[in-house]
Amino acid sequence: MRTITKRTYIVVFLVLAFFAGLGIMLYSFYANGGTWASNRANNHIYSGGELTVAGTIYDRDGEALVSTNRNERVYHEDKSTRMGTLHIIGDSQGFISTGIQTLYRAELIGYNFIDGIYKTISSDEGCDIKLTVDADVSAAAYKAMNGNKGTVLVYNYKTGEVICMVSAPTYDVYNKPTDIDTDKSGKYDGIYLNRALTGVFTPGSTFKVVTAICAIENIPDIYDRTFTCKGKYTTGKGKGDGDVICNGTHGKVNFERALNVSCNSVFAQLAIELGADKMTETVRKLGFGKSISLGKVKTVKSTFSLSGSTRLDIGWAGIGQYTTLVNPCQMLMLMGAIANGGQAITPYLVSSPSELLSSVTSPVSSNITLSEETAKKVRKLLRSNVKNYYGDSKFPGLEMCGKTGSAEVSNGRSHAWFTGFSVKKDLPYAIVVCLENGGLGYTHAIPVANKVMQAVAKMD
Amino acid sequence: MTRKKRLEKGLAASTMTGGDRIRRKYKYVDRAFILTMLTVFQLVSFIPVVFSDGKVYFKIILQLLFYISFEWFYVGVMRIFVKKVNFELEFIAFFLSGIGLCLTASVNKDSMFKQLITVIAGILVYDILLWYLQDIKRVMFIRTPLAVFSLLFLGASFVYIRLFVGQINGAYNWLSFSGFSLQPSEFVKIAFVFVGAASLDKLLASKNIYMFIVFAMGCIGVLFLMKDFGTALIFFFTFIVISFMRSGDLRTLVFICAIALLGALQIIYFRPHVAARFASYRHVWEDIYGRGYQQTRVLIYSVSGGLFGVGIGNGCLRNVYASTTDLVFGLICEEMGIFIGVIIVVAFASIAIYAMISSRSAPSTFYSISACSAAAMILFQTCLNIFGITDLLPLTGVTLPFISQGGSSMICTWALFAFIKAADVRAYPKIYKTN
Repeated sequence: MRTITKRTYIVVFLVLAFFAGLGIMLYSFYANGGTWASNRANNHIYSGGELTVAGTIYDRDGEALVSTNRNERVYHEDKSTRMGTLHIIGDSQGFISTGIQTLYRAELIGYNFIDGIYKTISSDEGCDIKLTVDADVSAAAYKAMNGNKGTVLVYNYKTGEVICMVSAPTYDVYNKPTDIDTDKSGKYDGIYLNRALTGVFTPGSTFKVVTAICAIENIPDIYDRTFTCKGKYTTGKGKGDGDVICNGTHGKVNFERALNVSCNSVFAQLAIELGADKMTETVRKLGFGKSISLGKVKTVKSTFSLSGSTRLDIGWAGIGQYTTLVNPCQMLMLMGAIANGGQAITPYLVSSPSELLSSVTSPVSSNITLSEETAKKVRKLLRSNVKNYYGDSKFPGLEMCGKTGSAEVSNGRSHAWFTGFSVKKDLPYAIVVCLENGGLGYTHAIPVANKVMQAVAKMD
Repeated sequence: MTRKKRLEKGLAASTMTGGDRIRRKYKYVDRAFILTMLTVFQLVSFIPVVFSDGKVYFKIILQLLFYISFEWFYVGVMRIFVKKVNFELEFIAFFLSGIGLCLTASVNKDSMFKQLITVIAGILVYDILLWYLQDIKRVMFIRTPLAVFSLLFLGASFVYIRLFVGQINGAYNWLSFSGFSLQPSEFVKIAFVFVGAASLDKLLASKNIYMFIVFAMGCIGVLFLMKDFGTALIFFFTFIVISFMRSGDLRTLVFICAIALLGALQIIYFRPHVAARFASYRHVWEDIYGRGYQQTRVLIYSVSGGLFGVGIGNGCLRNVYASTTDLVFGLICEEMGIFIGVIIVVAFASIAIYAMISSRSAPSTFYSISACSAAAMILFQTCLNIFGITDLLPLTGVTLPFISQGGSSMICTWALFAFIKAADVRAYPKIYKTN
């Protein structure tokens, strides 16, 4: 009998194993509850794949961008606002995977481990989310883009609030084109993607800002030099050498003037002089290899690589061509860092409830390392661009700094870029405009940037 | 103090330890108190079932009142006429069966009656088996015929199902004729514990060991042919527990498990379709409209209910196939809450602890082994069910004892309870008194 008594302990082991399993099960309930409960297959809150019960998403002024009324999601009444905020708030079906309605659906449906979604089901009301974006600016940006593909991004470089994040092509949730899946013309290419977050583009001349930073930090007499532009820059006569064609014949120019006129000859020459190692180091320090976290969504990393490159390749890379691809958000943060004395503030979209803010661990991003001194110098150069070259009349009353870009791409017209910011005390906003195959930065991107920034200036 | 109470106290004092003697004082209160609480719980949980769809279901009220009065009647009769003193197992079974009845009635108003009949039938089987088990000679007498009969029954069922019934849910494990259906494997479970414990009682009789091994392998083999892998696994696991209880030899058990694992690998290798049935394991979210349908719905709706549930009748899992049978634990979590789900799990664990404690003072090794192995069987089946539908283990399609709708499972679990109860000396007060 005694031996049997001992052997009954096997039951204790079984019970312990059983409780261990229970523990794992409860933990996975706890850890994944929000994701599971907000699954599209949950008929408590979805009907036919559409969200039927969820909280309201407000813009920064408390305007409802989307809310629930009688088991249906109701979007903003203005069509341009709907189009301009589509990629931020996302659609009811979840095609736009980076939309707030998709990423924060567990919060919107009011899920928590204790109550599940009982409160939401019984009251037909979820939890509300307030965004930092402005409905009017978004609508203005969408209109200003005038049907072009691309993205417009604006954020407060002192606080990190994203005011505007428009991505095109876009569509009206109330009138979704029926030929999205069948269209072959390409007009809906990447329509479900938020280009600001998951897009990468050839930066073109906007990248000269990076080359300029590298030059300022590594060539002590950079401001004393003069360069001669003959319409092209010949890197040498050896293998892997060739010509970097300039956008004009600028003749004798100094560093500042070279950036004003965006002289390819000078910046190709500087990049080659600085060399692959220093260029790569600067690019790394400016955060191009890292993704930026905006709450629950991470941007795509920008790519810059000079491994195995020739002198000519480095020359092209110095003016933002070659294999370089940048994410618009990365460019925005770079502009923010320059504007804010070297400190890059991480952009964020969700301003309340406050517990959602905790995902932003530190307002100052560690992605970008830029000294205050360099930032000041670059800011001066960018201010000079607008003041002495583009003209302040392009941005009435805004005191803008910036750099345009016209990135050569293999298919079609160049990408039109404008990256910049205002130095006005009461207008601490940085902006990135990127129009895919939009043409020249100067003629196409600057007007868009102006319209958007004017809307920002009018914002309460 | 009445004479009866004094008698009761005397009986208790003679069988109990010091600590128990003090607790005994309150036992009277306890029994009535627990039954009252149980009644309250059942009345409350049936409210949304009785008043649903804007109607009042008098039929359900009658059936509920019958069930509740049966509980009181049973405990009363057993207490007064059979002089039983403890009803822990019965209370657990009443509690779990009550939840099963409630959900069954809630999902389908017409199916409660059948389920109620099976509960009563289960209790009858429990008492008959308990009576039979009290005499060890009877047990020894019947073990060989029972083994032979069970194996033949299982084999014949398989042949019959293969020829006349066909697969139901991917397995040949439902014996059905003229509108009546049962799972033969459930009844063989009872025989399995019986034969396993009885044949190993004489520790040194090697003939008996071989008989049991042949019997076990036969059962597991037929279950494999039936494609009822879940039940086959339960049988194998119980075989391991019985072998350990008997021999105490861990090395042999490791050896058996290794061979079984090799065998399983062989099956996966030569019969890829068997492995394919479990392909969605840990990948259920990749195919939420296909192979992962049931598990993902269980997970989605279990967490949706939170700790306290969305209320009986308000759930969505009830619309998923097998919501009152295999997936019933998910339905409990969604509608009654994860908290009740945990209580149920604790109830199952306490059955095992009860079996362990009782088996230490059991009058014979037969009772010890059968109690522990029956408890292990129930516990393992609970594991396979709960963790299978929540994707912590592969989904094998076994029922949740007492709660899942279905007669075979209900009767079998009550019968297994008889083995556990039989190990408790208090189960046979008359025998004990004469001693």
